[in-house]
Amino acid sequence: MTLQVLDPSSEMATELGNPAPRLASLQGKTVGFISNGKEGTVGYFSHLDKMLRDEFGVADVIVRVKSNYSAPADPAIVAEISRWDAVISGLGD
Amino acid sequence: MQLASKVHQAADFNAVQELYHSNGWTDGLPIVPPTAEAVEACLEWAMMPAEQLIGVEPVRERPITVEKLAINAVMAGCLPMHFPVVIAAVTAMMQPEFLLHGATASTGGCAVMLVLNGPIRQELSACPTFNVLGASDRATTAIGRALRLILINVFDVRPGGIDRSTIGHPGKISYCLAEDEDDSNWLSLAEQNDIPKEASAVTVMAAGAPRQIMNEWTTEPREILETFAAEIRANMRHYSIWPGNYAIIVPQQLRRHLQKVGWSKADVQEFIFERARIHRREWAEVGKGSVVRDRGDTVYPAMASPDQLLVIAAGGPAGGFGAVIPPWLGHKSHAVTMAIGICLDCEPPRT
Repeated sequence: MTLQVLDPSSEMATELGNPAPRLASLQGKTVGFISNGKEGTVGYFSHLDKMLRDEFGVADVIVRVKSNYSAPADPAIVAEISRWDAVISGLGD
Repeated sequence: MQLASKVHQAADFNAVQELYHSNGWTDGLPIVPPTAEAVEACLEWAMMPAEQLIGVEPVRERPITVEKLAINAVMAGCLPMHFPVVIAAVTAMMQPEFLLHGATASTGGCAVMLVLNGPIRQELSACPTFNVLGASDRATTAIGRALRLILINVFDVRPGGIDRSTIGHPGKISYCLAEDEDDSNWLSLAEQNDIPKEASAVTVMAAGAPRQIMNEWTTEPREILETFAAEIRANMRHYSIWPGNYAIIVPQQLRRHLQKVGWSKADVQEFIFERARIHRREWAEVGKGSVVRDRGDTVYPAMASPDQLLVIAAGGPAGGFGAVIPPWLGHKSHAVTMAIGICLDCEPPRT
């Protein structure tokens, strides 16, 4: 006998965001870091900061740290993103 | 009753298993086929329409309906009478202070522990004594499993997907227990959270694996509790130093010694709050010297306040075995207690 059973999933595809247009170059651009604030982020992001400035000619690097590393970025940080040319959101551990 | 979920056809019981396993809809164990009849029975028991909204998952703004909870509860082996506990538990997990996304996505790999209080424990024949942390009865095992299946299917918390647990722990399969209120003169965990004894309640906590302790060599409360405090200190050295909700399971044999000389839960909380703390420099003794830095003399308590310790009366009648259940990660997630099937602070309807 055929069984009729119900779908247990949400049946909702998560909307994927569209990637921002790629930058032709980082020269003279402003790059933002969104750090989760863990121990390892200090060395990791400071190294990236230096690399971006020295090797890619980035004009400015802005670091913002989430108030809770296990939660999405604070609204104030998200609001700032539109003023940056590129953003790097990464873990530090 | 109108159900919104997609209906799948399967030739027989085994075909149902393969369908659900192949779609990633199980925890690896066989499931009970969620037929419309079984799901409707859960909804009717809870007296909720299928489309009832339990909440909206905040990170991906996903609405969570009671129908989807019922489907997963049936799959886990829940009876309709178990379902109100599942609803209350998911509602509690969706409170902002629980931080559901962080707790279920973290590499820290915690599980959601549930503690049942009130008359529902007896209505469901939950067993708060023998083997209490080891699948002691049908109700708690099925309810705990239901939460895992709900996380997998409704919240997409699958290993390697949103669930980034490095190792996880066996409590993820099912982590539900009832408190032994009948053999204790202590306030129940729910009563400590201002829920009347006559009401049923569930507490959820983002919890690490239980760490078993044993002390059968004393009847002195301070010595008994020092063993629990030492295990908490060990967790702070080996896992996380951050303060948060710890839980301890105190079995009957040890409770007798404490209660005989008048120690209440509040006394236990106060004592362990004072004793469960370490210096940051102790990390250097366990291979974590690189992060001690200039803060070696700083003292870290296991809890920010005594009431962050959940004292749970449970366990078999013989044996001085208890457990310390550490938080996922300090204060990032807070335990939430919620009454089942009632609203304690609702306004009466305006006429």
